[in-house]
Amino acid sequence: MTRFVNESVLELRRAVERERLAAALAELDRRGPIEVPTVIGGERRFAPGFDSVDPGDPGRVVARANATTPAEVATAVAGAAAAAGDWRATPAEERAAILARAAGELRRRRYELAALAVRECAKPWAEADADVCEAIDFLEYYGWRAVELEAGPELIQLPGERNTLHYRGRGVAAVIAPWNFPLAIPIGMSAAALATGNPVCLKPAEQSPACALALYEALEAAGLPAGVLSLLPGEGEVGAELVGHPDVQTIAFTGSGAVGLEIIRRAAAVAPGQRHLKRTVVEMGGKNAIIVDADADLDDVVPAVLASAFGFAGQKCSAASRLLVHERVADHLRERLEGALETMLVGQAEDFGTDVPPLIEAASRQRAEEIVAAAAAGGGELARVEAMPDGEGFFFAPTLVFGAPPEARVITEEIFGPVLSVEPVAGVEEACERVDAQAHALTGGIFTRNPRTVAAVAARTPVGNLYVNRGTTGAMVGRQPFGGNRLSGNGTKAGGPDYLLHFVDPVAVTENTVRHGLAP
Amino acid sequence: MLELGRRLGRRRASAAAVKRAANDRTMALVAADPELRAALFRLVDVAPACRGNEELRAHLAAYLEGIEDPGPLASFGSRAIDSRALGRASGGVAATMVRQMAKRFIVGETIVDAARPIERIWRDGATVTVDLLGEATVTEEEGRAYARRCDEALVELSRHAAGWADRPAVEADSIGPIPRVNLSVKVTALTPLVRAAAPERGRADAVGRLRELMRRAAGLGAHLHVDMESMDSREMILDLVLDLLAEPEFAAGPSLGLVLQAYLRDSEEMLERILARAAAAERSVPLTIRLVKGAYWDHETIEAAQHGWAPPVWTDKADSDRCFERLTRRLLDSYPLVRTAIASHNLRSVAYAAAYAEQIGLGPADFEIQVLRGLGDDLQEAVVEAGLRCRVYCPVGDMVSGMAYLVRRLLENTSNASFLASRASGSDLDALLGRP
Ligand SMILES: Cc1cc2nc3c(=O)[nH]c(=O)nc-3n(C[C@H](O)[C@H](O)[C@H](O)COP(=O)(O)OP(=O)(O)OC[C@H]3O[C@@H](n4cnc5c(N)ncnc54)[C@H](O)[C@@H]3O)c2cc1C
Repeated sequence: MTRFVNESVLELRRAVERERLAAALAELDRRGPIEVPTVIGGERRFAPGFDSVDPGDPGRVVARANATTPAEVATAVAGAAAAAGDWRATPAEERAAILARAAGELRRRRYELAALAVRECAKPWAEADADVCEAIDFLEYYGWRAVELEAGPELIQLPGERNTLHYRGRGVAAVIAPWNFPLAIPIGMSAAALATGNPVCLKPAEQSPACALALYEALEAAGLPAGVLSLLPGEGEVGAELVGHPDVQTIAFTGSGAVGLEIIRRAAAVAPGQRHLKRTVVEMGGKNAIIVDADADLDDVVPAVLASAFGFAGQKCSAASRLLVHERVADHLRERLEGALETMLVGQAEDFGTDVPPLIEAASRQRAEEIVAAAAAGGGELARVEAMPDGEGFFFAPTLVFGAPPEARVITEEIFGPVLSVEPVAGVEEACERVDAQAHALTGGIFTRNPRTVAAVAARTPVGNLYVNRGTTGAMVGRQPFGGNRLSGNGTKAGGPDYLLHFVDPVAVTENTVRHGLAP
Repeated sequence: MLELGRRLGRRRASAAAVKRAANDRTMALVAADPELRAALFRLVDVAPACRGNEELRAHLAAYLEGIEDPGPLASFGSRAIDSRALGRASGGVAATMVRQMAKRFIVGETIVDAARPIERIWRDGATVTVDLLGEATVTEEEGRAYARRCDEALVELSRHAAGWADRPAVEADSIGPIPRVNLSVKVTALTPLVRAAAPERGRADAVGRLRELMRRAAGLGAHLHVDMESMDSREMILDLVLDLLAEPEFAAGPSLGLVLQAYLRDSEEMLERILARAAAAERSVPLTIRLVKGAYWDHETIEAAQHGWAPPVWTDKADSDRCFERLTRRLLDSYPLVRTAIASHNLRSVAYAAAYAEQIGLGPADFEIQVLRGLGDDLQEAVVEAGLRCRVYCPVGDMVSGMAYLVRRLLENTSNASFLASRASGSDLDALLGRP
């Protein structure tokens, strides 16, 4: 198998690519709402249950999805358990070939899929396209890594014994996915499980069922055996059913902290008759800070901070939501940030000029508004984008908050919206202390031109991904293994060499090779 | 051509030229060691952000950590210092060193400061284009401020230029007069809205400011030259300028210029597009095209590699050089539809253009050679001596804003593929003058 290379993002600076994407979106719109069935054992069941809508125009239904019932969840898990043996016995090379073919399917449909992410999740084009690429990357990367893993690591060998260590798929994996990377994250968690020989029950976010259906179709077209993957659209209770099911072995989840903790708690319970411990691979949120030292190049800081805090309206777990600035440059940076904030264009995801798209749903907007209002009431000063688009979309003005009190929610809670708290600090040391005081430890940034400062921050930061002199988002498969520490989760590192270990059980075999005192 | 190249490349004997040659040799030494080269660039880059010599010293020490022998770096200071001790050396020496380097490339902090060195260039028989350095534009106010500075510069320069002695040789070609005042502007400094995937945003924002500058230039009889930058802004800049060119109000002026980058694989196509539009615009003042190889080669190749794109630039240096010569011919053949400025420090590229111009019967004033202040000083003297028009690109600005420019020039000057670096390290001139 060839060495892995990341899928190339589209060169959007070329007009022809933009035209192709716009055409794909027009075609998608022309086709009307997509019907998303529950698929179990290759069998589709559909009745209109719930809808996903365009966050920029909530009157527009993007998909009508079947609402999976608890009984269907049970059927799906039973089917998966039945398929587990054969799938585990399939050589990793063959499983990887199926995943690679699925990647090819996504590649073939990349314009259409990017358009779908634009419509269903209001992901701006560049990020929607990057989502497609990351989905392709996960399929190819995990397939390749699983082949490598199958050989097992080297062990110490002494005369008269042969030691081997093998990794084996654990059994049914429940994948509970978010909407913010509607293609990459569900396929990433699923591909990791599938590549290592686990059947998957996929429960996509209720906001993005159509994206999930496209993923299912790609794997189906690639020749994945019918029982090995089921698609279970639905609301939270579908996930809860999966988590509680005694035949589920592994639960891969990416989403909010509250749900993540609940999953870990419930997964710890052993049901009567259950003969295994459930494993959780849980990726929760972040509260990510960028530190700006006095020697930083502010020309670089401003655009990187804006992109990290406001890209996709801050709806990434890697998004920056705190800026800790050396007091010597704090005033100057504030002035430039406020000016630069005014250049942020809030608009529809489908407009190539849009910097900040709408939020995913009304509740997100409501919550972000409350947090900003509380910060202002607590003495924080606000700078906000004034010009807002018309219409019913869930638009939210990108906001800078200066001088919020330390206990304010804007400083302590993950917001998942375009809000950035800017806080002067006496120096990098103090900034590190503030980061250290947080419960989350996902991503972090440091802008400095002193290599010693970089080394010092890297040595003490609790975060899982530290970015130096660049933005904090956009981790690439195979290049920036992604995932955090502390309350950010136990599911690291997606897209890295260790991730697959979450989905396997290690088995060591030791054979005595001595016969009659001889070791042939 | 070879003859001309040798003439242009003859070593200069003036005191300034000897000092420059010494500097260039030091540079070549630094360039030979990649770690040292990196340390030097980082030092120059961070210098303006450091408060006081102590901070600069701390950075220098960090950059030199693990470097065995920082020898050549030491000799950059105004006085010799023990190379081993450089890491512990006073930040003052480093600060002086950086300032000295900056002074070589930047003519002054303000137009007023720059007035004398510029007039000196004029007296020496060459002429200038002025470039205003600045921080990156990330806010509307910064865009407005840059436009204001450009406007003031046009006015100031016109005032100064009125007092310069007449030099008919550089003030007209076969078509007509050539403005004394020449300002180079960067569109990405005029607007914070440059978005690679949405060229219309930057364009809509910059068009008003550029139009105002064109009006000012037209009123003063000055030339306005729009620099070309990275691929992310190319389409935007090109469309912006070509559209403005077609506006009826500018049919009779000002004199306007564009830049063509030969390192782009599609640069020949681009030139055809420009020529077609220039012909259609029916202006009485021809468009000037400055032919360069392109200053963003590293950026373009790194960005392409990181995104998995085919690089938009040639990856073999000789391809850029050959393309430069093809474009040279096409451009000079297009006179008087367009005026051509050959901007290069590569003697082969310059001599090729001069020889070709002569061969097709253009007069010595019917094209010009452009060089960067600090990099092309020797060539400037030689070009003037050869009776050709030489325009020196003169950056004006303070330390803070000058550093990005300075770092780029230093990188260029010391990169392996660079003509200047080859020359400074003693390569045979005739070999360098050979067909690429
Ligand atoms: C007056 C003036 C104005 C300028 N204005 C601009 C401008 O507006 N925009 C702009 O982009 N540049 C501009 N430049 C810079 C110019 O593009 C070159 O970077 C610089 O002049 C060096 O080229 P050279 O011909 O002097 O030297 P050479 O040493 O002959 O060429 C160096 C150049 O070759 C190219 N190159 C290097 N390595 C490779 C490789 N491996 N494969 C292919 N090509 C390679 C690069 O373009 C590099 O700059 C200007 C230069 C001058 C003198």
